[in-house]
Amino acid sequence: MYSPNVLREVPMVVVDESHTPLSRQYIRLLDATPQVHVQGVIADMPQAHERMKEGKATGIVFLPEDFETKVSRGEESVFVSYNTTMAFLSYATIKEATSGAMLALDTSVRPNQVVFLDADVVQPVVNTPSIPVQGIALYNENGGYATYLIPSVLMVIIFQTMLMVISMQCGKEYELQIRPFWSATNYNSSWGWAISMVIGKSVVYVGFYALFSVFLLGLLPLVFDLPHLASPLLLVQLLTPYLFGTAFFGLACSPFFKDSDAPLLLIAFFSVGLLFLSGISWPLELMPWPWRLLHCLIPAPVGVLAFVKANSMGADLSDISREMMLLWGQCVGYFVLACWGYKRKCHP
Amino acid sequence: MIMNDLFNVFCRELQRMNSRRIYWVACLVLPLFSLVFMATIFGDGQMKDLPIGVVDEDNTSASRHIVRMVDATPELHVTQHFANETGARKAMQKKEIYGYLLIPSKITSLCYYYHNAMLSVGGELRSTFETILQEVSVTPIVTEAIGLGENESTLTSFLMPVSETEYPTYNDTRNYAVYLSQPFFFVFLQILLLLVTTYALGSESKFGTSDEWLESAKGNMGIAVMGKLLPYTLIFITISIFANVVFFKWMQIPLPCSLWTINGVTILFICATQALALFLYAIFPALSLIISVASMVGSLGATLSGVTFPVLFMDTPVYGASFLFPIRHFVEVVQSLLYLDGTFADYWPNITILLIVCILPIVLLPRLKHALITHKYDSIE
Repeated sequence: MYSPNVLREVPMVVVDESHTPLSRQYIRLLDATPQVHVQGVIADMPQAHERMKEGKATGIVFLPEDFETKVSRGEESVFVSYNTTMAFLSYATIKEATSGAMLALDTSVRPNQVVFLDADVVQPVVNTPSIPVQGIALYNENGGYATYLIPSVLMVIIFQTMLMVISMQCGKEYELQIRPFWSATNYNSSWGWAISMVIGKSVVYVGFYALFSVFLLGLLPLVFDLPHLASPLLLVQLLTPYLFGTAFFGLACSPFFKDSDAPLLLIAFFSVGLLFLSGISWPLELMPWPWRLLHCLIPAPVGVLAFVKANSMGADLSDISREMMLLWGQCVGYFVLACWGYKRKCHP
Repeated sequence: MIMNDLFNVFCRELQRMNSRRIYWVACLVLPLFSLVFMATIFGDGQMKDLPIGVVDEDNTSASRHIVRMVDATPELHVTQHFANETGARKAMQKKEIYGYLLIPSKITSLCYYYHNAMLSVGGELRSTFETILQEVSVTPIVTEAIGLGENESTLTSFLMPVSETEYPTYNDTRNYAVYLSQPFFFVFLQILLLLVTTYALGSESKFGTSDEWLESAKGNMGIAVMGKLLPYTLIFITISIFANVVFFKWMQIPLPCSLWTINGVTILFICATQALALFLYAIFPALSLIISVASMVGSLGATLSGVTFPVLFMDTPVYGASFLFPIRHFVEVVQSLLYLDGTFADYWPNITILLIVCILPIVLLPRLKHALITHKYDSIE
């Protein structure tokens, strides 16, 4: 769906009131950037706004009447870019292009501007180099949207579908009042029965989902050219607590699953929310603390974060130790809760 | 007479809702939860004090001055100093920092690294670094020239003959809460509404009460459906209007049009979403299948609403498919109203499509009635 991955040739319009070689040079430079495409040069601002309303343009660059005059007088010439904030992705794309074109124009104009400096300053200024600045993106180097979002979505899919399977099964059992075929009478204590129920069930779910994960996290990234930096061993180390944590979480919730369809409704609803909670779009550090706490209590957001770190950023086990500890902690916590839930089912 | 039947079905549905907790959870608790979630998760909506690191190999007063300049920007906060790049890379992988600045000895260049696996943070870092370092990069020239007695403004216009002023339209501080809270709340709400509607319809055949349902409407399918869905319509409309009040009045998200225009569009959107759920259910009235379809349609709506990745840039088939989702049209109308001072002339096509979606299920009502009477889908799992 996000197959273009990055925004290219975002449509823009230019209002050129200057009509000079300099303004035309800027328009050429802007159009030459891969990020935007100059749709047209428009006579005035109201018409340009009209274009934006029609959805034919995402941004406007306004080149004022004195655009070139000011430069030739040695004053600072300012142009205006009206940039839509409707989607921050297009905003950033346009900004990159307008300021990139501006820097290119500045570089080409600067040598002519030497005449405006004091004669005795010219030589030292021209000889003093500016410090070259370079920006380098680490991980997801070309800023792709699919390469950013899809790995996280895959992890959420695993969590959500496993919960759905568990809820449907438990709901069905409740509806039909199926007694577990493994009768509790064989056991001396109800705890023993509960523990073996929980372990037995989760091993089946985890086994099934381990296969599913090989396909989802192992194969899909290769096929669709998504990041796949993590070693298989690390993925196994990460997925073990993730899958068990999810299974125990599902079983711990099972006392609430009293219908085979209703839980689906609740679970499906949370998908987008879980992505938000993982902190891959809005940084965790800036979330209010109750949401940070919730982040730590659910396997999915923690798992997503660990997976992104391992798979998209090439982190090793020690780099994701915080997430691993949380995941194992959740495993233990939800295991106890799940057993307790089953124990109560045994003696209602 | 008809009103009477409608009232009967309506009351019957209220009783059904009251008999099970799931309805109240889905109709009140979850919408209010998502409202609180979307209204608070972004804090004050500004990306600020993002933790970054510094590798200062120069370690002179000049380099420390640069570090102070970077730290002084509201967006960035220097939390760690590293002796070499390896340490900085490690901290990046641990996600302790979102980027770092490398100052080699003698300050021969400035290199900033930013984290793009988290795209929104990466973008913010890049543009902040770019702006501040542009200023820093010319400091040697400025120091030199000012030392020689050159006028500062002459120098600025020499260095930057052409510069840019930026007017971000509408959301001028680029507040994430302004950008995402409102649209994403409705993305959540439409998922929920699709599911609740499907569940309410499907639970009749699931629990074998469809005959009773038709009877209460005296066999009139239109009345049966309307009476059944009306309680949900009313509840969701009330919540939506409340949400709009929270967003535009309490959180003070700028609203260039009247609140009632937005509310009007929202009401139409709620009706269209319910109609879509009814339509999907009528095509194949088996609850367990359609509830999965509904949850998929709802989740796809999150993508195809075009809030984060503009739909225009997706592949043509996907772009075409996005027109089938009410949320897409709702988002477009609201964006037109908020961002572009749009008038009815600008967004009437979206409104028309929403209206068409509202009446679309009528053609399938006979099919749905037939399915209910014959019970032929009841046992499909």
